[in-house]
Amino acid sequence: MTSQDNGTPSWGARADHRVLNKDTRRLSGPEKVKGEAIYSIDRHVPDMLYGKLVCIPVAKAEFTVDVDPAMEIEGVVIAIPLREGSTLYNGQAVAAVAAETPELAEDGARAVVVNYTPQGFVVTAESAKAPGAPQVSSRSPNHAPRGGSNDKGRGDMDATMEALDASDFVVEAEFDVAIQHHACLETHGLLADFKGGDEATIYASTQVAFGIPGSAAGPLGLDRQNVRCVVEHMGGGFGAKFSMDVAGRAACLMAAEVGRPVSMFNDRRQEFETSGNRSGSIQRIKAGVAKDGEILAMHSDMDKLGGVGRGPGAVQPYIYNVLESFTLDYALHTNTDSSRAMRAPGHPQVSFAMESVVDMLAYGIGADLVEIRKRNLSDPAYHRQLDRVAQEIGWNEHQHRTAPGKGDGWIAEGIGFGVSTWGGGGGPGAAAEVRIERDGGVTSSIGVQDLGTGVRTLVAMIPAEEFGLQASDVLPRIGDTQLPNGVGSGGSVTTASVAPCLKDASHKTRLAFAEHLASVLKCEAKDVTFADGKVFAKSAPDRGLTWKDACATLPAEGLARTGKWIGDLQTSGAHGAQAARVQVDLMTGAVKVLKMVAVQDSGLVLNPLTWRSQVNGAMIQSIGLALYEGRVMEPDLGIQINANLGDYKLPGCMEIPELVAIVDDEDTRQAVIGVGEPPAIPGAGAIANAIHNACGARITSLPITPDKVLEALAKLS
Amino acid sequence: MRLLELEINGDRLHVAAPPHWTLLEVLRYELGLTGTKQGCDKGDCGACTVLVDGKPQLSCLMLGSAAQGHAITTIEGLLPAHRAQGGAGADPVQDAFDRCGALQCGFCQPGMMLSAKALLSENPTPTSTDIKHALSGNLCRCTGYTQILEAALLAATKTEEVL
Ligand code: FES
Ligand code: FES
Repeated sequence: MTSQDNGTPSWGARADHRVLNKDTRRLSGPEKVKGEAIYSIDRHVPDMLYGKLVCIPVAKAEFTVDVDPAMEIEGVVIAIPLREGSTLYNGQAVAAVAAETPELAEDGARAVVVNYTPQGFVVTAESAKAPGAPQVSSRSPNHAPRGGSNDKGRGDMDATMEALDASDFVVEAEFDVAIQHHACLETHGLLADFKGGDEATIYASTQVAFGIPGSAAGPLGLDRQNVRCVVEHMGGGFGAKFSMDVAGRAACLMAAEVGRPVSMFNDRRQEFETSGNRSGSIQRIKAGVAKDGEILAMHSDMDKLGGVGRGPGAVQPYIYNVLESFTLDYALHTNTDSSRAMRAPGHPQVSFAMESVVDMLAYGIGADLVEIRKRNLSDPAYHRQLDRVAQEIGWNEHQHRTAPGKGDGWIAEGIGFGVSTWGGGGGPGAAAEVRIERDGGVTSSIGVQDLGTGVRTLVAMIPAEEFGLQASDVLPRIGDTQLPNGVGSGGSVTTASVAPCLKDASHKTRLAFAEHLASVLKCEAKDVTFADGKVFAKSAPDRGLTWKDACATLPAEGLARTGKWIGDLQTSGAHGAQAARVQVDLMTGAVKVLKMVAVQDSGLVLNPLTWRSQVNGAMIQSIGLALYEGRVMEPDLGIQINANLGDYKLPGCMEIPELVAIVDDEDTRQAVIGVGEPPAIPGAGAIANAIHNACGARITSLPITPDKVLEALAKLS
Repeated sequence: MRLLELEINGDRLHVAAPPHWTLLEVLRYELGLTGTKQGCDKGDCGACTVLVDGKPQLSCLMLGSAAQGHAITTIEGLLPAHRAQGGAGADPVQDAFDRCGALQCGFCQPGMMLSAKALLSENPTPTSTDIKHALSGNLCRCTGYTQILEAALLAATKTEEVL
């Protein structure tokens, strides 16, 4: 029996689920493994041109641009200036070209003449703060409170200072987090399919299909309602793909001008230089603890490195209860592109510093690393989750529980912990349609895009559960603004925003179908039961109809209902704990993560298979943040020197430890919560702590490369 | 332009392309075989991996003209090749990647699968370390690799069954 409630829609008891909460293969799997899935970057339409941006090669400039020379190249169809006057960071686009082939577009872009005069710039934190440093932009000083000039800090400074004085043990440290890149494998861009007339279709690599028509209509010179956006498959987003970016705008402008489709996608360098990074940060922290483990005080002075942007909002103290705290939250501007949202914007950075501080305090008073965490976390979810990860990682058998290893010998092993929090709830605005055809076909439609998280599969699973079918019996239709309203995929809101709509639509469709079948089955509508591909009266389970035969009784137009968001079907408030076990080679400074465990609550997990994939992926991205990834700027030239996937090190499969992703099944909330962000938060802190636990080397700067480990070890001896 | 004679997925094709085009460009822009992905265009990501005479090769680093005289297999050719060799159902690598959910966005997938395919045809009983080595040139930003490695192991069992 599937979970079928005749009153208001509810997910029903987990024990009753036949499809939901069960590992379900991705419905896009077959198409993807055959190479048939068409991503926006793969789209080719007749008469299509390829676009290329002309980017300025210095960090700050005054410039003029002459696009005419590009037009002398045969095959270049259009060249347009995009801005005039000045640029604020390296790689900023100033003109665009469209041509018959990608390489002609490149030739055209090279032919555009940009006359620029470099201006004084700063691209590193040190130079941005140096006395007399060139100002990044005229809008604000290089170093300014994020909350505006009236922002004098949060909390009570005097009380914090007193509490520090009263502490039994005090630590002070500066934490430095390098800028991480999203590095989606499909770069940003879109195909503006416009051939003249008053309509256009945009095939975009975007996290917000429904945002594109509004952005594209202006540059296309069309009405918003005549612009459609399609996102059939998408090669990753992680927070970087919310706007259509300059590449998208330029493609639309050029398509409008020549009346031909233009496809324009970033190359990898542009992707690094201008299209997505997690802000770096510098956090100076002083914290104090009482002998009994209570954290009494924390004074934090934070600089967010958001380039020309302000960086994210998350601040100290992060998650843990701190009796008295005072926090200064500053933006430290540089002449680099603005940071963007990236999986749990701001959280991994503050988590890394906070978790490090918690360990430093614990060692100072000889406390157990798990116990001190529980002592300063009120929510019982964290207590059980920490116990569980501690058990899975082998904490109780571990030798360094209250003091780190000494850094002697050759190889050392250590364990570290971290916790995370996130909302993960959804919101209103989306809608879904579920349709049953007379031939037995079921379509489930919602315009939302699937970034790779598995939304497409959920769109089929929810009606399948309702009708007693399999997910593969339902055709999911997504990624199209001609379908019912989707939602932007960011902040882990997608599942909690769309699943309730799908549930509502499925529920209404089932009730209407039951009403129709009551006369056929000669029972009351409330007794019509859908299970295992059959439909029957509750009292006569052996005398029912097959699903197909039941559908054949429908009128020619079939049956369809739309559903809206229902707040009770979702909730927010995700908690997670992670533990990492690492091995440090004391001779070379190389760190290898041996195992990571995540215990994560997220209400009702709709598809555990894609859930695990998300959590594992988040842990890997944390390994990258902790050990390998970081934008490297050349301070004198003002350019990024590792703007490619060779020099910017992403974790590869050689770096993958054993990963264990566990659903916190003591969370019995019968409501869905998104899980994209929370597991991406605590890993870096846990790894840094594990390195220290192994050998006593406290490294407060990410990524923790071997040179930093060796330097810290040298200081120990 | 130069007329190239290429053997792609068992078909002999004549393609006119500029002489300096890479195999990746010929596949994507001339032949419409977009299953071969372009992730970096400079040999860093592995998304453009194809098989050249059964060996994995980054098609963004090989000229189209250099591919002449060799048998090229792209992701689109795996299933037909499996069938042509008398295989039933899906190719074991494709089937395993699908079963294990070894994909999120799937952009890295074609390259991953072809690297796995090449490994399994040389070494039908690889260890996890062998698999990690073979896939170490293929980057994935989404999945966490775990399911990819599981899939490659599962494919190994199945390949053995087929052989
Ligand atoms: S596109 Fe060839 S290796 Fe990245
Ligand atoms: S699944 Fe997205 S890059 Fe591998």
